[in-house]
Amino acid sequence: MDFSKAYAIMVNDLTEIFSSRSIYLPMIAVPVFFAIALPLFTFYVSVFNITGVISRIFSTTDIAAASAISGGQFFMTYFSTYVLGPIFLTMPIFTAAVIAADSFAGEKERKTSEALLSTPVTNSELLTGKIMSSFVPALVMTVGIFFIYGSVTNALAYKAFGNYILPTAPWIMMILSAPFLSLVAIGVVVLVSAHVAGIKEAQQISSLIVMPVLIIPFTSILGIADLTVSFFIEIIAGLIVVDAAVIYFGIRSFRKEAIL
Amino acid sequence: MGDLVFASKLVKSFKNTVALGGITMSAGRGMNIVVGPNGAGKSTLLRCIGGLYRPDSGSVRVLGMDPYIEDDARRRVSLLSDNYALYDRLSVMDNLRFFGRLYGIGDSEIRKRSKTLLEKLGAYEYSERKAAELSRGTKQKVAICRALINNPDIILLDEPTAFLDAVSAEKVHLMLEGFAKEGRSVIYATQRLNEATRFDAALFVIKNGRLSNQIRTEDLYDETLKGSMVNIRTANRVDARIAKKTPHFDSANGRTIKLRVDGYRDINDAVSYLIGEGTYVVSIDYTEPVIEGMLGG
Repeated sequence: MDFSKAYAIMVNDLTEIFSSRSIYLPMIAVPVFFAIALPLFTFYVSVFNITGVISRIFSTTDIAAASAISGGQFFMTYFSTYVLGPIFLTMPIFTAAVIAADSFAGEKERKTSEALLSTPVTNSELLTGKIMSSFVPALVMTVGIFFIYGSVTNALAYKAFGNYILPTAPWIMMILSAPFLSLVAIGVVVLVSAHVAGIKEAQQISSLIVMPVLIIPFTSILGIADLTVSFFIEIIAGLIVVDAAVIYFGIRSFRKEAIL
Repeated sequence: MGDLVFASKLVKSFKNTVALGGITMSAGRGMNIVVGPNGAGKSTLLRCIGGLYRPDSGSVRVLGMDPYIEDDARRRVSLLSDNYALYDRLSVMDNLRFFGRLYGIGDSEIRKRSKTLLEKLGAYEYSERKAAELSRGTKQKVAICRALINNPDIILLDEPTAFLDAVSAEKVHLMLEGFAKEGRSVIYATQRLNEATRFDAALFVIKNGRLSNQIRTEDLYDETLKGSMVNIRTANRVDARIAKKTPHFDSANGRTIKLRVDGYRDINDAVSYLIGEGTYVVSIDYTEPVIEGMLGG
């Protein structure tokens, strides 16, 4: 495999995406907004409205009581890690799904694939380039968003409590699981690209993968799952298996005609 | 002349539509024209040769290799499809650079080749413009440059002049003739027979996914005009005695002389005779559209 060709495909895809403000601006601006707004909301609840809101949110657990004792720091740490963390973990899925759908189904929709496939590029070079063009920005975006929301959270926590609350070990584990979540989304796009007519369909199907991730904060709030380091190690191990299966079947079932 | 492209009993279907129904053909160096009406299977044939489609049955060999499976076969081939296949959000130069890199060409060489090709087709001034901002004709010119960036031995073109003005189309024709003279194989699909007959070429006539005729363009008129009726219209009335002596004379009516000919040379003989007799020939009309009949009939 000639990696320079895979790299050229990746660069081409990224240049295309980032040359259109209408595509990249919402993809960046919306998560950045939430990365600032949600920690602010958490801070407000932690400091100014502890007993009312917290006891309503955590009516079935003892977090409300712990928050009342610790003056909100416990709640802020808990909410920032176990609720906001999983919410921002949808980033690597959404970003990867949006870019991968544009990359695979977009070639089909814009009819650029004929020229691309008439070159001596191999299937593995093509797939590597396309996967990288979704994987790299999804990962950069996720790390960036976690950095922003972590920094905002820490700045607010330092102001209120005099110490930083992030990173926690589970929070780091969430960041470490991001690449594996991205790969699932990309693998699904590769799998469905043969069966969809355009970008929107591919995005809709692959975005369904965020559903299980969005369940995570509720399992924590309801006390069903304990989001510990070992929990995330198990999740990552499971994702590696799913990634391998999805990517394997995606590559195996990939036919050039799929994007023609 | 060795065959660079060889297709044997090539079959390709899409769901219930048979696009190619068992075509066998070979194309050597020089100009090769694939002509046929809409939906005849020209584009599918070119895509099979270009390695985009895997045939349902039969085989394609390009330079002795299977272009679908053997990626190296496509290194010396290029395909210009019937759409521009350019990345709209990229500039012209970025498009050419990307495709050049996929052929393993260095950036400085890509720049050099792009400049030469764009200048030849009069599109160099657009090199930094995004493809989306270009007119259809300019996009077509850039797409032609893209298809030639790898300096291919086999050039597959699907309606390459469809959106070009007459001057630009002629530039493309001359460029392709130049390639053909260099010993490359140019395979040119068109539905316009008048464009096809412009070249000294091997002509493959395709109808309903099958090869219905294979002929050299220089033999086309002889073949298709055999036994045809031709009307020669004149500006002045021709004396009946002179008209009757016209080679291949059939009948005359006022300023129209009807001939039965077996080839274009017969028409030349008749016209030369009439001009020699002081007649002014204003038009030659085929009483039936013999050549176009090859496609539609």
